[in-house]
Amino acid sequence: MIGSILIIAAFLIIPLIVGVVSARQAQATSEDFFVQGRAMGSVAVFFTVAATWWSAFAFLGSNATFYTSGPVYLTALAWNLLFGLMYYWVGKRVWFLGKRFDYLTPSDLLGDFYSSETLRILVAAIALVFTVPYLQIQLTGGAYLIEVASQGAIPFWLAALLFYFVIIVYVWIGGIRAIAWTDVIYGALLFFGMMFAGYYISTHVGGPAALFAELNQSSPAHLSLPGPNGDMGYPMWFSLFAITAIGAFMGPQIWLRMYSVKSGRLFNLMPFLLGLAAFAYFGSVLSGYSGVLLEPDVANPDQILPIMLVNYAPYLLASLIMAAGASAAMSTANSQIHAVSTVVTLDIYQRYLDPKASQARIVNVGRLSLVGFSLVAYVMALTVPGVLVTIGIAALAGTAQLIVPTVGAITWRRAHPTAAIWGLLGGTGCVLLLTFTPLTSAPFGYHAGIWGLALNTALFVGLSLALRRRDSEVVERFAKARHDYDAQYHPERIDTEAAPLQASYTQR
Amino acid sequence: MMRSIPPLKLVLYGGILLGFVMLESPLIMLANQVEPMVLGMPFFFFWNLAWWFAITVLFLIAYLTDWGSHTGRRHEEGTS
Repeated sequence: MIGSILIIAAFLIIPLIVGVVSARQAQATSEDFFVQGRAMGSVAVFFTVAATWWSAFAFLGSNATFYTSGPVYLTALAWNLLFGLMYYWVGKRVWFLGKRFDYLTPSDLLGDFYSSETLRILVAAIALVFTVPYLQIQLTGGAYLIEVASQGAIPFWLAALLFYFVIIVYVWIGGIRAIAWTDVIYGALLFFGMMFAGYYISTHVGGPAALFAELNQSSPAHLSLPGPNGDMGYPMWFSLFAITAIGAFMGPQIWLRMYSVKSGRLFNLMPFLLGLAAFAYFGSVLSGYSGVLLEPDVANPDQILPIMLVNYAPYLLASLIMAAGASAAMSTANSQIHAVSTVVTLDIYQRYLDPKASQARIVNVGRLSLVGFSLVAYVMALTVPGVLVTIGIAALAGTAQLIVPTVGAITWRRAHPTAAIWGLLGGTGCVLLLTFTPLTSAPFGYHAGIWGLALNTALFVGLSLALRRRDSEVVERFAKARHDYDAQYHPERIDTEAAPLQASYTQR
Repeated sequence: MMRSIPPLKLVLYGGILLGFVMLESPLIMLANQVEPMVLGMPFFFFWNLAWWFAITVLFLIAYLTDWGSHTGRRHEEGTS
C-alpha cells in the first residue's frame, strides 16, 4: 500500500522536476512556448510524438477491445504504419511551409493557403470541439488507474484533480519543451509497461503459445474477425485503421509537433520508429486474451487490465504498470491541453481580440487558457460517462476531416477555399449526424468518419474542379514553396533545368 | 512532360503500398483464419505481424536511402 502510494507520488513529482529544469532553457517568446522555437531535437521529437499519439485509448482501450471483440484492434499495426507514413509525407511538407511562412497553428497554414477567414475559424473550431472529448477520455483512463493502484485511497475525483494539477504546473512554466521532456519518461514507461504487462499476465496461462492454443479450444471466435459478438468485421477493421491514424495525426497536438521539429531529416526516420513501436500492441493482445480465459465476466471491459494486474501480479509491479498506463494518458493529455490553449490564444485571442498583444501577454493568455480547458475536461470526466474507444473514435473522426484541405494545400494549386469549407462542413456534419442522432446508423458497417471523409473528399475535389481561384498571388507563393521543397528533398521531381519553372508547377 | 521516378523510390513506395493492400484491403479476409498456427499464433496474427514487419523494414531502408530521392545530406538545414 505504502509502496504503491510512493510509486504514484514519484509518478506525479518527477514530471514537475523535469518541467522546472526544462523551464530554465525557456525564452519568453510565444514561439518558444508553443513550438520550442522550431528547434526540437530527434529524441524529444520521437518520444513526444509517440507518447502523444499513444494514449489511454491505446493502453486501456486495446486490451478492452481484444477482450470483448476479438482481433479487430490488430489493425493497429497498420494504423501505426500509416500514421508514421503521414508524419513523413504530409508532416514534412507542413513543417517546411510552417518554417517558411511562420505558422504556429493548423489555422495558420490552412487560413493562409486558402486565404479565408471563415476557413480559419472553422479549422480552429474543429480542432477545439473534437479534441476536448479525446482529452476527457485520457483523464478518465488515467484517473481510474491511479484510483485502482492506490486501492481506492485516492478516489477518482482526486486522482483526476492531481493529474491536472501536475500537468498545468509544468506546462505553465515550461511550455512544449517541458512536455517533450516529460514525454521521454512517459513514453519509455508506457512501452515497457504495455509489453511487460502482456507477457507477465500471459505466463499465468502458460505463455503466449499456450494462451492461443487454449483460446482456440474455448473461444475460437476471439481469434478471427468479426469476433465473438459478430460486429467487428472488415468494415470496422478498415474504419479503425483510417480514422484513428488520420484523426490523431490531424489533432492540433500532433500538428504542433510537426512545426516544432528542428531538422527535416528527422521526418525521414519517424515512419520507421513509429512503425517499430507498434510491436508493443502485442502486449495488449496477450493481456486482453489472458483476460478472456482468466476473468471472463468483467462488466466494464476498460477495467480489464487493471483488474488482471491487481489479481495476478505482485502489488508493486501492478502499481508500476498502472503508472505506465497513467503515463500513456498523461502524455497525451498534457499535449492536448497545450495544443488547445495554443489554438485559443493564437487563432482567437491574438487574431481577433488583441492583435497587438506583446509576446509576454500572449504566453500568459496561453497559460490561462490551459487552466480553462483543463477545468472543462475535468468537469466532463466527472459527469460524462462512456467507453474509452467509442468516445475516442467519434472525436478522431471529427479531426480526421482536416486531412482533405491539408493535402489539398500541400499538393494542389487548384484547391479552392469554398471547396475546403463545404468539404469540412459536409464531413463533420456527416460525422455528427451519424454518431449522435438515433435516426441513422453508419451504412454498411463503416464508421461515420469514413462516410464523412468520403463526402468531404467528393465535395472538395468536385467544387475545386468547378471553381477557379482568383488570388493568383497566394497560389503562386505556395507553388513556389512546393517547388523549393521538391528542389531540396525530391530533385527528381523537378524537370530539367531548361524547362520553365512554371511547367513543373502546373503538373502538380 | 514525364518525370522519371528513380527505381529505388518506385520499389519502396510499391512495396509499402503492397503491404497496406495486404493488411487493409478486403484481401485481409482471405487471411482471416485461425489454422494453421504459425510460431504458436493463429495464422491471422502471423499474417499481420509478417506484413507489419515487411513495411517496417521498408521504412528503415527508406530512411537509409532518403526515401529513394538522391538528395544527399548536404541539403539539410537552411530551408527558409
